[in-house]
Amino acid sequence: MASHKRKKITLLLGLILLGLIASCLAEYILHYSPYEQHLSLALQGPSFQHWLGTDVYGRDLLARTLAGAKLTIITALAVALLSALIGSCIGLFCGYRQGKAVTCLLRLADIFLSFPTMVFAIAVAGILGGGTFNAAAAITAVTWPKYTRLVRNLVSPLRREYYIEAAQMSGFTTGQILFQQILPEVIGPVFITAALDLGTIITEIAGLSFLGLGAAPPAAEWGSMMSSSRLYMQTAPWTVFVPGAAIVITVALFQLLADSLRDFFDTKLVR
Amino acid sequence: MKLKQLLALPVALLLVFSLNGCGTVTAPAATGKVFHYGTMAYGPAMQNASTDPHDTYCGWSTVRYGVGETLFKFDDQMGLRPWLARSYEQVDDYTIKIKLRDDVVFSNGKKMTGEAVKACLEDLLARNDRAPHDLKIDAMTADGQTLTIRSHEKMPDFINYLADPYSAIIDVDAGIHDRIAIGTGPYKAVRVDDQGLHLVKNENYWGPVKPKLDEVLVYSIPDGNTLTLAMQSGELDAVQGLPYASLPAFEKNGAYRILSSPTSRVYQAAMNYDTPALQDQRVRQAICLAIDKDNFVSVLLRGNGLVAAGPFPDTFPFGQGVQGPAYDLERAKELLREAGYTHTDRDGYVTKDGQPLTLRWLTYTSRQELPLLAEYAQASLKKAGIKVDVNATDNYKDFLKRGAYDIYAQAIVTAPTGDPGYYFMSKIYSGQPYNNGHYSSPVSDALIDRLNNTFDRQERFRLAREIGQQIVNDDAVFYASFLKMSVVMKKNVTGFAPHPCDYYEITPELDIH
Repeated sequence: MASHKRKKITLLLGLILLGLIASCLAEYILHYSPYEQHLSLALQGPSFQHWLGTDVYGRDLLARTLAGAKLTIITALAVALLSALIGSCIGLFCGYRQGKAVTCLLRLADIFLSFPTMVFAIAVAGILGGGTFNAAAAITAVTWPKYTRLVRNLVSPLRREYYIEAAQMSGFTTGQILFQQILPEVIGPVFITAALDLGTIITEIAGLSFLGLGAAPPAAEWGSMMSSSRLYMQTAPWTVFVPGAAIVITVALFQLLADSLRDFFDTKLVR
Repeated sequence: MKLKQLLALPVALLLVFSLNGCGTVTAPAATGKVFHYGTMAYGPAMQNASTDPHDTYCGWSTVRYGVGETLFKFDDQMGLRPWLARSYEQVDDYTIKIKLRDDVVFSNGKKMTGEAVKACLEDLLARNDRAPHDLKIDAMTADGQTLTIRSHEKMPDFINYLADPYSAIIDVDAGIHDRIAIGTGPYKAVRVDDQGLHLVKNENYWGPVKPKLDEVLVYSIPDGNTLTLAMQSGELDAVQGLPYASLPAFEKNGAYRILSSPTSRVYQAAMNYDTPALQDQRVRQAICLAIDKDNFVSVLLRGNGLVAAGPFPDTFPFGQGVQGPAYDLERAKELLREAGYTHTDRDGYVTKDGQPLTLRWLTYTSRQELPLLAEYAQASLKKAGIKVDVNATDNYKDFLKRGAYDIYAQAIVTAPTGDPGYYFMSKIYSGQPYNNGHYSSPVSDALIDRLNNTFDRQERFRLAREIGQQIVNDDAVFYASFLKMSVVMKKNVTGFAPHPCDYYEITPELDIH
């Protein structure tokens, strides 16, 4: 059973890595630049030369979609890791310590948690201005509190465990206790939560770009590609369908991977 | 992940699209002959969501939707014709005497007199931000159906401004209630809000042709796809502002008619003279040479535009003969080399003194052509070695205020008054607040001063052509194309056509069979 799950995880990871490698090598394999315009080739349907067709500027959609994979996946990974890192550090501190500072940090996390993610991200990206970096910052700003809550809830009961008290009496510093004794106990759930979040983050990045608050032109970002092509939905539906399908497939892959990882770690716990 | 979760993603996406395309057109109960009209050109973003002509750009809605009329109007060749006025006489360089029609009544039944027109123009001067600057009125006297207006400057194009929608004549004594003004048009508003207007027939209409429809419902639909789907579903009788990409779907369908008209709405990019790199004319010229306007119009606008040489289209007498730069990428590269810009690395961009030539292209998205132009210019200028950072934002006014742009691309009607004076005074003359490029040329300024003191129409047109050519020669503004406005209507709609000035849409002739 465990080997089946391991195979599934390997397969999914392989597919994601394959996508990323294809994305990095797209320009060399396809001989089409995702950014160079060829207006004479505008809005051509899928063909032998352009497998997924071209957009209004005559750019090859396969090249752009693959280029978009790099941008979207790396940004999503960065947002997930950063949110997990910030949220977990605050969560560790809040779970281990007590006092006014902890209460303040938890209330701050509650305030951020109370915002609908997308609305808050739109507001932050709106204030900071467009761009991939600002969109990523906006999503990070609303994602970290989840990790704070999660880690804090996991750490609180551990505080009274004998091995923690033993570590305290042995003269371990707070940092050593948090990062050497407690962190290994909570890293698994954080890791799985981050993996589960990846799909959501990808849709949020695409959503912000769709609204013009994410990647700026001519960046090959899937949401931005859908947004700029939506006027051609009737006359050139592939221009919307291709980046849309890329979002659906990527989100599905990450969700499946996260589910498999969760199942895998659950099995290990039971065993 | 369960199958249900997997299916949820595409279903959610489909929902987003389907919600995007429905729910906007919700008609109130209407009786008799009702015309349903969808437009992208109405709403708070356009500053015209009211029928009060004295409020910002709301006059456009007053006149467009048949609520109000002006003293003079434009014919199909943009010539001036009397409308609520019968005639006018230029008494001297500063004074105009206007004879008003004596058969005009407001929709509330009150007669339009000289006093009523005077009160209306006074209200316009008091409340509108552009009118006092445009009209320069010193004094007005009303005597029966005669109105005498004296300006404090020579105003050769004064009558033209009286055809601007902000000059729509309304009954100011009746006041403005819930954005509803009492005008003299064939229809009167009964509901006006951000989403649209509900108009009913003006039973007191004075004109020779009486309104044929009982009600008109104007819907603000700012999304091109929604507008297309609403028209295709049969919810609307006519639409204005369809995306170019949607037009082929209607061209192939015999149930619809498409009518187009060239307009003086130009897509232009003003070079910011405060940007050190752009103070070098060779750089400005390189920019103008490196963008292929023919390709922009034929491919990206799908032929729904006219290539622009200067500020006015060839179809206008003051736009003829201006010679614009022809696309020449090699010459553009050469000019950049002459200006000291060289390729130093492999990224394809030129540098000077170690600094890359990077320009911030500011524009907005409410005109679908502007983001297209921005991205096209970005790719075109890259070929010449110029890096362009596009900032397409509807928050563009903040960036303008802060001066955070090197090139500002916008869509503007250059001859809203059927005369060239307005454009030159607002966009080109030194120090004017809307001169976004901060262009300042003693030659242009002197020519504009002469234009402002010239009453002879032919001489005005000649001067306008000269000024237009001077702007192009200075490479101060890149003129990309003019809008060809199209309206799509069901086959049974008559009396509905686009007008070059973009002011007259709902007219007494409009009918459904």
